[in-house]
Amino acid sequence: MTRINYVLREAFTNIGRNTLVVLGAILAVFISLTLTFGTLVFGEVVRVNTIQWAEDVRVIAFVRDEVTPQAIADLTTEVQSWSEVKDVFFVSKADALVEARSLFVNQPAVLRVINENPDIVPASLRIQPEDPKEYRTIVVRLEGTPGLERVQSAGPAIDAMIALRDGLRIMFWLLAVALGVAAVALIANTIHMAIYARREEIEIMRLVGASNWFVRTPFLLEGAFEGLVGGILAVAFIIVAQQMAVDRLTDLPEWINLGVKNDFLIERGALVLLFGMFAGLIGSSLSLAVHRYLRT
Amino acid sequence: MIRLENVTKVYDGGVVAVKDIDIDVNKGEFIFLVGPSGSGKSTLIRLIMREEPPTNGDVWVAGKHASSLPSWKVPHLRRSIGTVFQDFKLLPTKTVYENVAFAMEVTGKNQAIIRSQVPQVLKLVGLSAKADRYPRQLSGGEQQRVSVARAFVNRPLILLADEPTGNLDPGTSVGIMRILDRINRTGTTVVMATHDHAIVDAMRRRVVELDRGRVVRDEARGVYETAQQQPMTTTAPPVAITPSPDVDEAPQEPVTVPDSTGEVPVIGEGNE
Repeated sequence: MTRINYVLREAFTNIGRNTLVVLGAILAVFISLTLTFGTLVFGEVVRVNTIQWAEDVRVIAFVRDEVTPQAIADLTTEVQSWSEVKDVFFVSKADALVEARSLFVNQPAVLRVINENPDIVPASLRIQPEDPKEYRTIVVRLEGTPGLERVQSAGPAIDAMIALRDGLRIMFWLLAVALGVAAVALIANTIHMAIYARREEIEIMRLVGASNWFVRTPFLLEGAFEGLVGGILAVAFIIVAQQMAVDRLTDLPEWINLGVKNDFLIERGALVLLFGMFAGLIGSSLSLAVHRYLRT
Repeated sequence: MIRLENVTKVYDGGVVAVKDIDIDVNKGEFIFLVGPSGSGKSTLIRLIMREEPPTNGDVWVAGKHASSLPSWKVPHLRRSIGTVFQDFKLLPTKTVYENVAFAMEVTGKNQAIIRSQVPQVLKLVGLSAKADRYPRQLSGGEQQRVSVARAFVNRPLILLADEPTGNLDPGTSVGIMRILDRINRTGTTVVMATHDHAIVDAMRRRVVELDRGRVVRDEARGVYETAQQQPMTTTAPPVAITPSPDVDEAPQEPVTVPDSTGEVPVIGEGNE
């Protein structure tokens, strides 16, 4: 009990001693994890909004309710045989309903309509073109086919959104990795200073036979704590920013939905926190590994 | 309790600190390591506390083969060894009590034991009244007594002292030696490296003399009597010589005479 108290007390006294350096490290973790978590959340927004267009589907042909399964199978086989088509798959009414519910999760009015009248969500054929940009021909060939309600293609907005996501994703990840490395290095530096400030104490501890974990744990805890605080700030920042975007950006086209499920935020947020803690542990371990006062 | 067999330590850069050392120290012995600066006394102390491993040979300490001990087991070995240094190594931000208690805290003793043991040890070194002082408020001798208290508070099997009186005046040194002697009589093995002629001559304990990394003398009830007063000579015969000029006491006759002056004398209070 004495030892646990001691270890905790030591971990926090240093944070008080070195406030500025500690703040710098926390800030680095915060920025890095904000970018990481922001990328995750933005990716999720794009995914939800383009769920029908995932996997390079660019054309959706909605099927009338009265069409028989045999007729659908025949149509699928035929479309599949077209040279400009890479793949076709059928989404039943039941599957389409599940999809619609997740698509409109943050639009209660739409959800209510769907739930009151599940039958309005149609079955469809999803078509992947050989070349994602060349889907006009498919649309033309499908138009007028008996049994089809309507043919819809992705359009430039969806293309732009997906391209934006892919571009941002690469840039954000690169930035996040670079800043992540900086965060680890800054945490290593604060721990380094903490060890230096307490070198006499450490020397005496080793002299009287304090075990290695006893000497090292306070520093590990300190690093993990700094990483965790940076992570908490990052997660809080993104959640607030996302909420503000949903509240403020009300004049966006209706089909764009900025909402993200709470499950997603909680799950990925926890991962980001763990990641922050882990970065802190790595930083302090690096520092402990190279420090001469701790060598035996 | 301590056994060095054929021990050689060569530091990086080829400096041979000690060479082919054989020393066997029994439980409860009090042994002085003497010799000029650079003769290897401190290296021996460091080898015994496994601050570093020997280049060659075997070191056994408290039943453990210290020279091959993996570094993660060193803390356990250290708990059976108390150490005292010339520069005290006290923590300036902690009081006397806290400095001594620190040695128990970091080895995981519970508060009840700490609260009963620390005052006892402070009483042993005569500092009960100054438990709440900080090191800067104490004299050198008092600080060294705190350091001795810290070394002894975990009741180690062995007490290593590297020039514990090196920074102290002769009168104060006598006080420290009384305490070390008392600790020795509880059964603790004491190994002390020193330059202090008067103390060695007065205590009349086992003396191991080192010169340039080799044992040149190992005597059961020895005196200091080194050859270092003749810096010109290269080979030093272990013969009696005049007292060294750096001892600021009354000049003494060659060889021995521990109690020729009133102050040095009879440290162990009749232990002989």
